[in-house]
Amino acid sequence: MTEATVETSPTSSGVIAKPELPSNGKADVLILMRNLWKTYDMGAEKVHALHGVSFEVTRGDYLAITGPSGSGKSTLMNLIGCLDTPSQGEYWLNGKNVSEMDDDELARIRNQEVGFVFQTFNLLARATALHNVELPLIYGGIPGAKRHEMAKQALAEVDLADRMMHRPNELSGGQRQRVAIARALVNHPSILLADEPTGALDTSTSYDIMNLFEKLHEAGNTIILVTHEHDIAARAHRIISIRDGLIEKDERIR
Amino acid sequence: MSPRSDAKPEAAGDAFGKRISRPSRIRSFPVFRIAALWEAFLVAAASLRQNKLRTVLTLVGIIVGVTAVIAVVTIIKGLDQTVASTFSSQGSTVFTISKRPQVITSREDFIKFNKRKDVVREDAEAIFRSCTACWRTGIAANSFEIAKHGDQKFEGVRLRAVTPAAMFDIDGVTIDIGRIWTESESAAAREVCVVGPDVVTNLFPDVPLDRAIGQDIWTGGHKFTIIGILQPLGKIFGASRDNIIYIPYANFEKNFGAHNSLVVFIQTETAPQLEQAEDQARAVLRNRRGRTFRDEDDGFALETQDVFLNLYTSATANIYVVTIGVSAISLVVGGIVVMNIMLVSVTERTKEIGIRKAVGARRKDILTQFLIEAVTVTAIGGALGVLTGFAVAWLIALLIGFPLLFSAWSAVLGVSTSSIVGVISGLWPAWRAAKLDPIEALRSE
Repeated sequence: MTEATVETSPTSSGVIAKPELPSNGKADVLILMRNLWKTYDMGAEKVHALHGVSFEVTRGDYLAITGPSGSGKSTLMNLIGCLDTPSQGEYWLNGKNVSEMDDDELARIRNQEVGFVFQTFNLLARATALHNVELPLIYGGIPGAKRHEMAKQALAEVDLADRMMHRPNELSGGQRQRVAIARALVNHPSILLADEPTGALDTSTSYDIMNLFEKLHEAGNTIILVTHEHDIAARAHRIISIRDGLIEKDERIR
Repeated sequence: MSPRSDAKPEAAGDAFGKRISRPSRIRSFPVFRIAALWEAFLVAAASLRQNKLRTVLTLVGIIVGVTAVIAVVTIIKGLDQTVASTFSSQGSTVFTISKRPQVITSREDFIKFNKRKDVVREDAEAIFRSCTACWRTGIAANSFEIAKHGDQKFEGVRLRAVTPAAMFDIDGVTIDIGRIWTESESAAAREVCVVGPDVVTNLFPDVPLDRAIGQDIWTGGHKFTIIGILQPLGKIFGASRDNIIYIPYANFEKNFGAHNSLVVFIQTETAPQLEQAEDQARAVLRNRRGRTFRDEDDGFALETQDVFLNLYTSATANIYVVTIGVSAISLVVGGIVVMNIMLVSVTERTKEIGIRKAVGARRKDILTQFLIEAVTVTAIGGALGVLTGFAVAWLIALLIGFPLLFSAWSAVLGVSTSSIVGVISGLWPAWRAAKLDPIEALRSE
């Protein structure tokens, strides 16, 4: 990308008018992104991973974000998951302006509003399934007894009640991903954000996990799926395709 | 118009179709802060359990350091205690008056002290008459002699001439076998003596102690009859305190002449009276020497047994500081070991830190976890180090042969010092962990 692109970028977020939110009669907006830019300063050159992405997600939606590698898909996921902040633009998550938060505020939002599911599960290798699921509750400041109860319940919901004291290396890939899903959901987040959740799983296990997502969606959870696999994306209700840092296509399929 | 910021609508709370209200969170001060710290400790403890090799290595590093310091401190305290108890055998109720102080540090002083008037028997009598706070007064003169019996010879014997018999009490010695001389024997300057057990065992080898009573020994060219044997006092740093011959002072005057300045011993009945007695005795002697209040120098030396202790303390203080300092270096090395292992641990656990941050750990949480891990390991290492340090000191004391004091404060000091070492050496690694970028950290393998 060139310097010229920067000049065409919008002015600072403060100048932009506060987003018009849907009135009460319409669907409940959970995510609102306005003209998001993400620019990486690579020494002399500036690389724009996202240039001006805007979209909304209503509560209870089941969204897939697809795109080839290098499309800005991962950058967008990091922004949605509050692991990073945009260079420009506004991001409102569940009524909170996330785009201007500092590290610790973001950590709090991740703890309360976002449940992550990763391709490589990202469980603590030496901790039990139960302890892994408890992790978000620990940082949420929930007392021990209540925490155990919530974590056990979450594990039971993903059919792992009998594997609570197992460590990740004693579990199959599908079971590990279910532990990760239990961890993502235990704190009752606003969104469930899954990054290639089936990328490390075989086909039949992938279907099991996708069925679980479906069940979770039916239960009212908002799910955002980041994937480059079309058949996985096709399970969602809406697909956003990213290319070269822009939304190429935004279609509702269900 | 601002975006909606009302409470979470129902759907969000429905993880699995059931509405679960979000439990209240720990936030307020201070009881819940302690609870939060306890949580951080549990996280750290779990992490330490889950990485046993790393934990053990760190423990060893700190144990070695604390062991060295505790062993050295304990041995030094044991030695000090031995010296202190030995020199204070006369108790804190005794002071002495002599021409020269027991410790002279310069040639000028030595010349000055030599010009002083001798302390004589009349000085002691004057004090005895005028000093109301003084309880018992005695005089003593010393010389080193050779003792002989038949063809047996014992060199380096301390000949101590004393009067009255209360000087035995003041010296802190007691009769084991036989008796002390009577007042009439003393007044008549009889050739009788009370000896330390070393004298008997050297002059009468292979004979029971009590057989020495009534025997004659020669010392300083005069013959004395043994009438009593003292209880052994034992050794201090290898030197015996039992090679002594007590004779009546009057006899010393008769046979050896009163050419030496003597030492006046004064004892008060209770320790608080000591200062008053010292003032009175000083006034009496200054008066006898014609000193006015303008004269700075007394013209005699008034001392308590503290001078020995003070000398010992000042002579050994620097040695102790150096010894403790050198052993403390091993604790610093232990600290560096902890820091090194912590740094490796942070690098090794980058992924873990990323996961923790992704699920909501703040910088403070990560910092606290790593710091608590460091402090937990070093505190446990410190406690174990205190135990092994005591064990090492005990072994050394057993080999050299002196009693030991295991003090609680050195245990507390060991644990707290190692905890501080833990904080210091854990701080930088913990800070590095805390400021890791979650995206980068998650990406690492």
